[in-house]
Amino acid sequence: MEFPAALFPSYFGAGPPREEDGSAPAAGWGEHGQVLEGRPGPHQAQPAFVPRRGGMGETWDPAEAAAVPVLPPSAGCWIPSPAPQDILYRNRLCRELRAGKDGATLDFAKQLGHFFVDHPEDAFGSMGRLLHKNFHLGNSKLKRPARSSTIRMTALREDIDRLEARRGCHRQHLASRLRWFSHLSRDWLFEVPLGLLADCLHEELMLQWSDLLFDDSLTGGALAWLPSGDVGSRTGCLVHPGGLAMNHLFFQDVVLEKLPRAQGSPAQFELSGHIRQVAAARVDGEDFVGVRSDYHCGVWRVPARTGTAPTPLQVIHTDVPASCLTVSPHLPGELAVCTKNGTIYLWSVETGLQQLRHDPQTMFFRDHSPWRWSDFTTHPRVLSYADRTGLQCLDARAPKKCHFDLFKVGEEAGCQKGERVVLPMYLGRAHPSQYLVTTQFSVYVLDERLPLVPMLKWAHMMKAPPLFAHLMPGDSRRSHKVVLGASRTQELLLMQYWGGRQSACQLAGTPQKLHTISGCLEHLPTQLPHHHHLLQQRLGAPAAGLAAVLQEDGTCNSMLVFQLSEAGDVFCQRLTHEAARPPAPTLRDEATTAPGSSPLFEAPASTLRYRRWLRALSRDCREPSQHTWPPSLSQRRLFTRKDLEGSTGPSALQRQVRQLLRQVMQEGGRIQHWEPMALQPLALPQPPEPTGGQDPLSTRLTAAWSGDCEQWWEDRTSFSMAQRQRALRERRRRQKRARGRRSLSASFTSSVTYQSELSELSDAGPALFSPGRPLPPSQEGSSPARSPPARSPPASPAPGEALLSSQSLRHRGIPKERRKTLRDYLSVWAEGPPDPPDLPVSQASQLCIPSSQRQLSSA
Amino acid sequence: SSYEHKLNFKKSKEACLSYIQDAMLQKQWKRAAEFLTFYVESLEKDYSREHVGPSEMIWRIGTEILCHHSHSSVKEFNCFMEQMKTLGVKRYLKASILNAVCLEHVFHLLCNGQIDEAYQNLSLAESWRFGEQTAIQNKEMKLIQAYRGLLDYYSWSKQKNILLEHGLDGFADLSVEQEMHSCFRKAAVNLKEIIKIPGVWDLFVKCYVDLLEFYGDHNEARQVLNEYAYNSKFPANPNAHVYLYQFLKRQGESKKSLISALKILHDIVPSHELMIDFNTMLRKSKKRKRRRLGLEVIFAVLDYAGWKENVKAWSCLARQVKQVVISEKHLGWIKKEWSSRKDWWPAFHFSRYLAKRNWQENESLSYEKALVAGILLGKDCKYFKYVSHQGCKAQVKRFRMLKKFVNRHNPVYLRISG
Repeated sequence: MEFPAALFPSYFGAGPPREEDGSAPAAGWGEHGQVLEGRPGPHQAQPAFVPRRGGMGETWDPAEAAAVPVLPPSAGCWIPSPAPQDILYRNRLCRELRAGKDGATLDFAKQLGHFFVDHPEDAFGSMGRLLHKNFHLGNSKLKRPARSSTIRMTALREDIDRLEARRGCHRQHLASRLRWFSHLSRDWLFEVPLGLLADCLHEELMLQWSDLLFDDSLTGGALAWLPSGDVGSRTGCLVHPGGLAMNHLFFQDVVLEKLPRAQGSPAQFELSGHIRQVAAARVDGEDFVGVRSDYHCGVWRVPARTGTAPTPLQVIHTDVPASCLTVSPHLPGELAVCTKNGTIYLWSVETGLQQLRHDPQTMFFRDHSPWRWSDFTTHPRVLSYADRTGLQCLDARAPKKCHFDLFKVGEEAGCQKGERVVLPMYLGRAHPSQYLVTTQFSVYVLDERLPLVPMLKWAHMMKAPPLFAHLMPGDSRRSHKVVLGASRTQELLLMQYWGGRQSACQLAGTPQKLHTISGCLEHLPTQLPHHHHLLQQRLGAPAAGLAAVLQEDGTCNSMLVFQLSEAGDVFCQRLTHEAARPPAPTLRDEATTAPGSSPLFEAPASTLRYRRWLRALSRDCREPSQHTWPPSLSQRRLFTRKDLEGSTGPSALQRQVRQLLRQVMQEGGRIQHWEPMALQPLALPQPPEPTGGQDPLSTRLTAAWSGDCEQWWEDRTSFSMAQRQRALRERRRRQKRARGRRSLSASFTSSVTYQSELSELSDAGPALFSPGRPLPPSQEGSSPARSPPARSPPASPAPGEALLSSQSLRHRGIPKERRKTLRDYLSVWAEGPPDPPDLPVSQASQLCIPSSQRQLSSA
Repeated sequence: SSYEHKLNFKKSKEACLSYIQDAMLQKQWKRAAEFLTFYVESLEKDYSREHVGPSEMIWRIGTEILCHHSHSSVKEFNCFMEQMKTLGVKRYLKASILNAVCLEHVFHLLCNGQIDEAYQNLSLAESWRFGEQTAIQNKEMKLIQAYRGLLDYYSWSKQKNILLEHGLDGFADLSVEQEMHSCFRKAAVNLKEIIKIPGVWDLFVKCYVDLLEFYGDHNEARQVLNEYAYNSKFPANPNAHVYLYQFLKRQGESKKSLISALKILHDIVPSHELMIDFNTMLRKSKKRKRRRLGLEVIFAVLDYAGWKENVKAWSCLARQVKQVVISEKHLGWIKKEWSSRKDWWPAFHFSRYLAKRNWQENESLSYEKALVAGILLGKDCKYFKYVSHQGCKAQVKRFRMLKKFVNRHNPVYLRISG
């Protein structure tokens, strides 16, 4: 194998990392690293230099505005893992989060309380049964004979309730009764000794909290892509976990079109644990898929031809959770397994497990993390072994004797203080002796032939440590591409590099951010708030794996990047690269729009995909709520006894409502419109309905139901005829009046109709505000109150307009200067609705102002 | 309150920075540039004393944007760099960063072919001396000097070429020669300095050795190369051994010293490409020990995945194995090599799948491998069976010979594996 004839210059020092403060926010930009003479030509006048970083890479443009779902959402509603606010002590949450990792205060008491409430049988079962006769929980006074053997717990309960309100108050004597009781009962009340239970709970809480800060069990990722064995085939198999507990393993055949499409139903295996990692490698034309859950690891064989079923080969069980499972790219059925007690095994399907090393301590300096990792190297018998402090390579044939250091967190690789190994990965498909190591700050490319000195180092600037990586090997013309993925922030970063054979490793182009699953939220149509929240939670679930495929298709190459979320969703995005285009920096940034300004997907296919996915999601998440019981509210918790008793008898409104209720109940009817009538201060003008609150259709249907449809029809025709006559008469009257008022404009006959329409509107005003006045049809026209001209303010209020009179306004306590405004306002209101109909007396009284107000206005 | 104001200011600065970062990671250089101007403006209004961090960030981000922005020019880039240097001199930038700024500027110029400007910048940077010299600053300064030495070397080599061409014509220009010598002196001084410090200095070592060899200082050159290869403070750089080996070869050194140089390379990197040469050298040797080492070397080479389909390596192994089998003298050697490999080589090299693929893709590879497989695993081995069958079917003569050979020497297999 060739080794680059000259490497980029670099210092080499041994020792601990430099005392530098954390990661600079822009540490990855603006550096060339070093330069090296490029093509050494004897006839060249000037030497040509190439930089370690800053050279040209391939340009990959995202084809869509966001990632698109590949598979329908897994059935059942996903339950998100705990958030910091579930675990941390509430009041200090913000402060602690800002202060740092160690200072967080876990809300231990709340969790313990939850346990007691949720599992009372487990917590107090036997004691509760023994004592329940001696505890009295009611309000009543205890009778004489019982008093000797029973205590009343009500006061204690009230104290507990009050305690909740006093949260954070440190005056302990306030809860003396509680303290007394807990002191008395601590030793015997609990089913599980309280100290033991508390220890276990605390341990679990600490574990949950450290998982929240950084969950390394997902390292490596639980998504794998198995390309088809046939050259040029557009199919492959996506291996991913699913199900509510992520304990189902799916082998889904996928056709790669513009958008990848699932083909047929997947092969499915139910496993007995949460699938943390899916690793795959192809040996001798067959794919071997390793699956890691906490205490079990399994291996499947998948023949390269599509359509052939995967066969499970072997399962191992570990006592300590496994932290790593990698599949050998060299020998069929060989895997490397690491457990969290610092043991590494070489697992061969044929010969079983071989322990290579057991060391609970970390290698180069002390670190508390039990995480271990192992991968294969260019030599099939040599395995790498990693902890947070670095990497070693050891020979499986003589693991104790033959080993060398490949990477050390220290001055050797120019590491920073606090830097830790996050994910090592063998890059054998790019170059047989290359290795990738990611830390929370940087990514390194190593060459096994020159250990400890990174061939390439780049500060990736990702917000969360990259737990996943996927390599797409290039060749002498094409760059190698590595996609890095973080879990919590879902970040995806595409970086490219060259070299390793004839020329030294160079970073190609600038790294590129890819779409995240949660990024599609802003492109989706507006959702109802609770749907939006649900969607936000679902799409924002931490990433759990990534895979990528490179497809060469003539001049246009495309790259498909799959991302798996902890909710089990698989999303995909396509990037395109035109090989024909010169790799010059183009004016692309004008073409690509700023985020947020590209509201829709270009292709209708992806929109359709989204619509289906959303529909399926909302269907799935609604289902469980149908099965659960309707929520029942305990009245006792809402109101204390005193609350209920304390009120000084029902108010007038309550009385009225009660009366209404009783009446309705007697009639066996129902209350459709709950109108607390007495309290309504000002009735809004309602568009009146001629048939008394019911639309014609309802009346007709009611009539038809009761069998007198004909009667209804007759009523209707006669009624409407009378109505039409009335309307006609009214209109004529108004026309006459208008003509009389505007004698000047009387000659403009052409505008008469228009004017009349206008006056029709303005005339309607005051009439509306006299609903209390009985308006039988026979009195129509004869009332003097109906004829004030609309445009002149009334000099003296007509009795029908009592509402607008300054007297009545004063009665209501409205100051003088406001009265005019209010009157204008009300008159504007009055202009809105159409002509007041002529109503029968009984209906008119119901219409607007209740009786009490009528009295007021007439006073 | 002022504290709150500061907090808000800090927050908005951070937000601005994250927008810049976002734009850059999406290659929206124009957007990033706009945001950067806002960011710089915000700094101008910031009277707090923490200018040091942000100015480094502005340098990094600004450089990156100017490298990719469609409207940026070399002139603008240089201007920006000069401004950053001024900032550095005014102490807004850490001194070590200032040196880095200079170096990066030089790199940029070098990559754009502006060698002379780069040289000027290097000389200028070298003359700057201020502040206390920290360790990092010192390192950067050494690098600046080394790169200047490198450029001196290139101008030396240019003049050397001129001189050599004209020298052949019988015309020697004294001034050119003088200039060449002065270049040599400047280059040698600077290059010599840096290669004393532990590191990877392939480029500098090569140039320095070239200079020394030209002036006939072979001892110094040998010493430099020995130091570079064997000093334990230096990383185990395979190139150091390669340079030494090449130097020894140029010097016409004895086979013994060549072999010892390669032996050390073999110990460090058993998969190095020079191992084929090494094997050839050893195989031809008269000494038994060396021939045995040759076998070890070639077996070790083929352990590595990168050599899996290398015909040359396989033919080396096949030839040597055949030699041993025919002579029937040192079967123990093969037995020993095979014992640590017999549990995994069959699956790694001699599976039926590989037989099929090798036969289809590379006939001569399959021939060499089949020979080795036949000897090591016997005539019933899958690989040998498949390939020899296919070869005989295709009526290729050498496969028939191969079959005959393996059948004749089948007992060897029993002795090796037993």
